[in-house]
Amino acid sequence: MSMSSAARFIASGSLLIPLLSLLLLNKDSKAIPAFSRQYGTSCTTCHLDFPKLNDFGKAFKDAGFKFPKDDESFLKVAPVMLGAPAQKDVWPHSVWPGEIPGMPPIGLRMNNFFQFTGKARTQFDALAAPPNVPGYIPATDFETGFFSIFTAGNFGSDIAFWVDDDISVAGDNGAGGLGDGYLKFVNIGRFLKLPKDTLSLRAGQFELDLPFTQARSINLSPYDIYAESNIGAMNALVPVQQNVANQFTFANAAKGIELSGGHTYGGYHYSVAIVDQNTSGVSQSANANPYVPSATGGANGGVGFASDSSFKNVYARFSYRFNLERDTVSRNAVQAAGQTGPRDHTYLSLGTFYMNGNSLQRYFGVPTTGGTQPILSVHEPYERLGGDFSFNYRTFNLFGVYMYGRDNNMLPVDATGALIPLPLSPSGPYPASFVSGGRATFNGGFVEADYLILPWIMAIARWDGVHSEADQINALALATNTSYFGAFQSTRYRFTPGMQFLIHPNIKASFEYQFRPQQAITIVGDGVTTPLSAADAFRVNTFLVGLEFVY
Amino acid sequence: MQRLVIVFLIACLALSAGNLTGKVAAGKGNSAVYVEAIAGKTFPPPATVPVMDQKSLLFQPHIVVVQVGSTVEFLNSDKVAHNIFWPAVSGNKKMGHNMGTWPSGEKRSFKFDTPGVVPLLCNVHPEMSGYIIVSPTPYFALTDADGNYKIAGVPNGSYTVSAWHEGMKIQSKPVNVNGDATQDFALSK
Repeated sequence: MSMSSAARFIASGSLLIPLLSLLLLNKDSKAIPAFSRQYGTSCTTCHLDFPKLNDFGKAFKDAGFKFPKDDESFLKVAPVMLGAPAQKDVWPHSVWPGEIPGMPPIGLRMNNFFQFTGKARTQFDALAAPPNVPGYIPATDFETGFFSIFTAGNFGSDIAFWVDDDISVAGDNGAGGLGDGYLKFVNIGRFLKLPKDTLSLRAGQFELDLPFTQARSINLSPYDIYAESNIGAMNALVPVQQNVANQFTFANAAKGIELSGGHTYGGYHYSVAIVDQNTSGVSQSANANPYVPSATGGANGGVGFASDSSFKNVYARFSYRFNLERDTVSRNAVQAAGQTGPRDHTYLSLGTFYMNGNSLQRYFGVPTTGGTQPILSVHEPYERLGGDFSFNYRTFNLFGVYMYGRDNNMLPVDATGALIPLPLSPSGPYPASFVSGGRATFNGGFVEADYLILPWIMAIARWDGVHSEADQINALALATNTSYFGAFQSTRYRFTPGMQFLIHPNIKASFEYQFRPQQAITIVGDGVTTPLSAADAFRVNTFLVGLEFVY
Repeated sequence: MQRLVIVFLIACLALSAGNLTGKVAAGKGNSAVYVEAIAGKTFPPPATVPVMDQKSLLFQPHIVVVQVGSTVEFLNSDKVAHNIFWPAVSGNKKMGHNMGTWPSGEKRSFKFDTPGVVPLLCNVHPEMSGYIIVSPTPYFALTDADGNYKIAGVPNGSYTVSAWHEGMKIQSKPVNVNGDATQDFALSK
């Protein structure tokens, strides 16, 4: 078992709530006040309930953070020209001219939370045996969230940029990190005489083209299926054995390149990304090698390596949005023309996504006669496949995702071909080779309904479900409790109603109640004569208030 | 002979009318100054059709003053969809109206039959703001950047003249026009 998968097992008991808090804090909702300054326009030009984009906001993003037409006529702050436009005529004997925004396009964001945690939070106290005193989970808690900076815009020639970074998290300086940081070369298909907007290129660190964004979600808590990694069942007490320790989740940003095309406000949209693989969860800054430092560094290893293998993941998505307006002009426009003003289209969007990767695990093998231990590499191809829908009628939006994940499962065997019980111990027995076992799978998704009651009041209801037998088995292996991830049942559900209020266009108060998955501290069965199972289930429900402002 | 009569009448009118001038102290921006309704007098609507444009996410001009009965054309010069509505006229919510939305380059018209202040809004771009000031008489003016105004051709007589500025309280003062006259205003919130 890798260090990171071990960490997954520890995500239980007294560490449960801090981990959940971390997940919560990993939510990165962003609106862009920088654009408000550039264009002298309100947040609601692009957002319904920030950071949720309306149709115009989607078109603005598709165009490379520009107005879809006549962008320059809307800019209230003239850009600074990095070379006269006529310099294009003498290229290649001059640098191709560009521009930068007339004022630094910087936005800042701060949020705070208040959490009420249900009475069942103390159930896990019983797991701490003397002399260990369990950590205390407060019933009520004021929590510092993020202070983040983000900057985005366009450098001219349809080259867009985006950077967002959490300057501090939970009040700790430097505890945050980069969210997205990329350049997007919009509409490069024009060089190939392709129709407009059929091909763009994005390079850097970015959230994959998910059906519904996690990084810029309006919800206070993340989508469970996006946070699901695939840690195979490694409990010696159960017959199922899965030597899978894949830390990949859709919740994390990817590093690589992406080709995309079409529009997200109508018609087709596609993307194909080739990104780093890092299934062990090692951080780039920690993945430095003194013998072969990354090329950006000398003796100190530079910026480190972001991949943990030589493979690259491929992620692809295709969606088609049917705008359901009767009027042809309105149907094809960025926004529909209503009787009392432009509005989002009534639409039905259907999409699918697929990801292919190849998880690499490395182990010490059986020592040779010379006493040296070979390093065995085992490759476990994995796939994620899903579908999504979104239906919008006026200010009501119903959307959802279903995802299925499977990892090849290579089980370690000794020299006789007998399976070695999992998890593998660093002290042996050591594998001689690997044999293919049954695949480790999971599935799940979410359905969410957003209803904008008034332009400043959003009602939300969300249902999350994740089915992973491995998660439950791993939790039962603790023999004393089920963790949030490995809940009472192999399928864990969460229902999350919420309300959000825009106190001002840039200030939001959010309220969210979470009916969380059932958990238990009582495990029955010995795994030999009777199967392991949890008993006396309970829920640790929470009520969360977020107060957020961007400027 | 007929020409002589016309010239004579015009000369008589000129002699019996004057310029109403003054200054409105109200902060930045233009103010509107107009003569309130004159008892027993009605005025035919003018033939001119003022245009209020929506351009670069702005109402341009920011303030248009028209005589009651005027028709105003609303143009969308932007390549984005706009809307125009006003929630009230001089605070009277019953007179609120939504003109809907129309494509870039097209116009819609509206006839303003009631004097008052019409605050124009766009329900897509809430930062957009403009005003139609509907004057009860043809005697109105917009101040310059320094707050100076001049209403020409005001017949001799006693009137009430009002000054409006965005975000300020309307102020009305009596004025007696006998030839040229002056009236200053100092508006407050």
